[in-house]
Amino acid sequence: MSQANDSQKRKAGVFDVKDRRQTTWIFFLLPALLVYLIFMAIPLFDSLRLSLYTGKGYTPTTFVGFQNYIDLFTNPLWRERFFGAVKNTTIFFMIHMLVQNTLGLLFANLLSPNFKGRELFRTIIFTPATLSVLVVGFLWTLILNPNWGAINKILISVGLKQFALPWLGREGLALPIISLTSAWQWVGMPTVMFLAGLMNVPEELLEAARIDGASEWEIFWKIKFPLLKPVVGIVSILTFVDNFNAFDVVYAMAGAKGEPGYSTDLLATLFYRTGIAGEHPVGIPNMGMGAAIAGVTFFILMAGVLLWLYLSRRGAEDV
Amino acid sequence: MQKKLFVLLSVLVLASMLLAACGSAPVATEAPAAPAATEAAPAATEAPAATAVPAQPDDKEVTLTLGSWRVDDVAAWEKIAAAFHAEYPNITLKFDPTNPPDYNAALRTQLETGTGPDLFFVRSFTVGRELFGAGYIASLKDLPGLTDAFSASAYAPWATDSGEPYAVPISAVSHGIYYNKELFAANGIEIPKTWEELMAASKKLLDAGVIPFANGTKDAWDINEVVMMQLIPSDIGGYEGRMAYLNGDRCFNSDEMVAAFQQIADLRPYVPSGFEATSYYDGQQLFAQGLAAMMFDGSWSINDFKRDSTDFEWGVFYPPALAGKDLYVTFHPDAAIGANAASANLDAAKTFLAWLETNEFSELLGNNIPGFFPMAKSAPALTDPIANDFMSFNNQAKGVDIRFVWEKLMEPPAGSVDAYTSLNNNVIAVLKGVETPKEAADAFNADVAAWYAPSAGCITK
Repeated sequence: MSQANDSQKRKAGVFDVKDRRQTTWIFFLLPALLVYLIFMAIPLFDSLRLSLYTGKGYTPTTFVGFQNYIDLFTNPLWRERFFGAVKNTTIFFMIHMLVQNTLGLLFANLLSPNFKGRELFRTIIFTPATLSVLVVGFLWTLILNPNWGAINKILISVGLKQFALPWLGREGLALPIISLTSAWQWVGMPTVMFLAGLMNVPEELLEAARIDGASEWEIFWKIKFPLLKPVVGIVSILTFVDNFNAFDVVYAMAGAKGEPGYSTDLLATLFYRTGIAGEHPVGIPNMGMGAAIAGVTFFILMAGVLLWLYLSRRGAEDV
Repeated sequence: MQKKLFVLLSVLVLASMLLAACGSAPVATEAPAAPAATEAAPAATEAPAATAVPAQPDDKEVTLTLGSWRVDDVAAWEKIAAAFHAEYPNITLKFDPTNPPDYNAALRTQLETGTGPDLFFVRSFTVGRELFGAGYIASLKDLPGLTDAFSASAYAPWATDSGEPYAVPISAVSHGIYYNKELFAANGIEIPKTWEELMAASKKLLDAGVIPFANGTKDAWDINEVVMMQLIPSDIGGYEGRMAYLNGDRCFNSDEMVAAFQQIADLRPYVPSGFEATSYYDGQQLFAQGLAAMMFDGSWSINDFKRDSTDFEWGVFYPPALAGKDLYVTFHPDAAIGANAASANLDAAKTFLAWLETNEFSELLGNNIPGFFPMAKSAPALTDPIANDFMSFNNQAKGVDIRFVWEKLMEPPAGSVDAYTSLNNNVIAVLKGVETPKEAADAFNADVAAWYAPSAGCITK
């Protein structure tokens, strides 16, 4: 259909049927757009605006420009807390990538062939993801309790008393333990996504490879994994976004202060303490600084997502 | 065509509704003005009535809300509210508590948006003073009887530096060591008279396979508030000693402070083996199960111990001073009640505040919430024996003082460490053996002297 023909039709009348089809989509988009604007975009920009203000209480009123950001990066106390939180959040994310997503891929592989009890295992692996984070955190805190927790009881009963540690009480130990708990809870998510990806791998390819004498190992690395790459990308970016926003599991297992000694303090717990709760026992929040921490977190997330978009588009062009 | 117009119109209506909702967001900041206006309206209509019958301004039915952080005391406060209502039938009091960790922030938000309760619990020193300074709490300089009913030191935590009170003190808390009488008897231990005797008793208990102290550091705050801050007064010499720090005459790493940190180091062998991951409630359970013989805790936990520790006899004693030093006790002003300066029922609220000065209230509070001690001068004796034991510490001691860091040391400029947090971190470091007592005192001094002006001379570099 030519351009001239098109514009002729447009001139033919506003209420032309074909034309209507081309523009009505805007109206279908409008509700979602408005909801997005009101509940996501406006608060986000308002939060960024708030980070330029200071003052005690609910509505900081004194405009200070970028002073909050400057303090965050130059004041020794803020800098120590902030970069500590960035480091801890990065470790938290790495452990999820290494344990949660690797195990997810392994489980998906084990579950993809049809065998008896497959549904049962799939359900078991996914069940923790349906529980509340606070419940999971509380249960694991009990299991890890040094006085009556199951883990230390078992270790002591088999004669490994020296390994019965106060898991959540030592710097350097608490963060990996909390990360593993979180990975344990959410391992079902990547499993299900990888499983869906594996279902889409054409059976003929696998059959052809088997006939050519390829081992299962070779089939995984040379056929399945390359075809799973888009899923790997999505799982990675979801893990990244979730982990850099993570708050609840640390709050449940180590408290808002990221005990012991700020060693489990994530960006979100630092933000909560600074901008919402305030430090115990005074509890007067510094909302402007809290918004600045949220702002930096937002930019870290945006950088990560943009990097992923760039890489995945380049990947798509390669194929 | 008609259908088309209909669709177009409905979309426009929908959009305008959403935009209106969106547009109302900035207006929301002005929302507090609205209730004030509607409240002003009845007041205005009543004004002529009041001038007509000036003798009975109290006749209208009033419901007062009382904000609090004491979610555990709802039943007791309902009793108190009923007693007040019996005396003032036209005023009904509604107790409306908030979860303790959220209280300060939630109250502040309510006050700023004009939705605050008529009356509310006010924290001592910094937090309360800040709210009063911001104009949210009504001044009580005209409240009859306040300065007679309470000693100056009792209402000072809720008064400005010039002595203007803004809240009526209702309760103080004490601290001590809860101990298992049966475990003490089985190991031939008497209540120790000195810190050295306490350590010797702990050694005996440990050798007998009992955990001497149930305290851990997982929750962080308790090792600071119920252990360190009840040891400090005896080490530094009570109120006078604390003033020497606040005036800058003593540095925060003085020998007295090192001695307090040394006591924390002394406790190291006697806490549970996994104390780093033992929480406050874990500690109470270790004690309740008879696995630990003692626990440092506050008087506010009397009811928790009564509920859980039912299998054996237990009691309380105050941690003794180092040999040769006098005993000073931490008796800490905890709660007062103030009136919302913007309340529409300020007169009724002040009627309630004046009632808080009576012995009737003191009795109701002290006996219904054991462990929270009424602060009025003429407060009657309490019925709970453990609560009375806590009160007896004050008489045994040479002096009584508040928690070390509460006054003046918790309001640093932004980006500095307050004394509470610094003391807390260093106490934990000493208990874990990461710092020596001297190193901890030096670190504490460096943190506080960096911003606390009177201690500027203590900065060492």
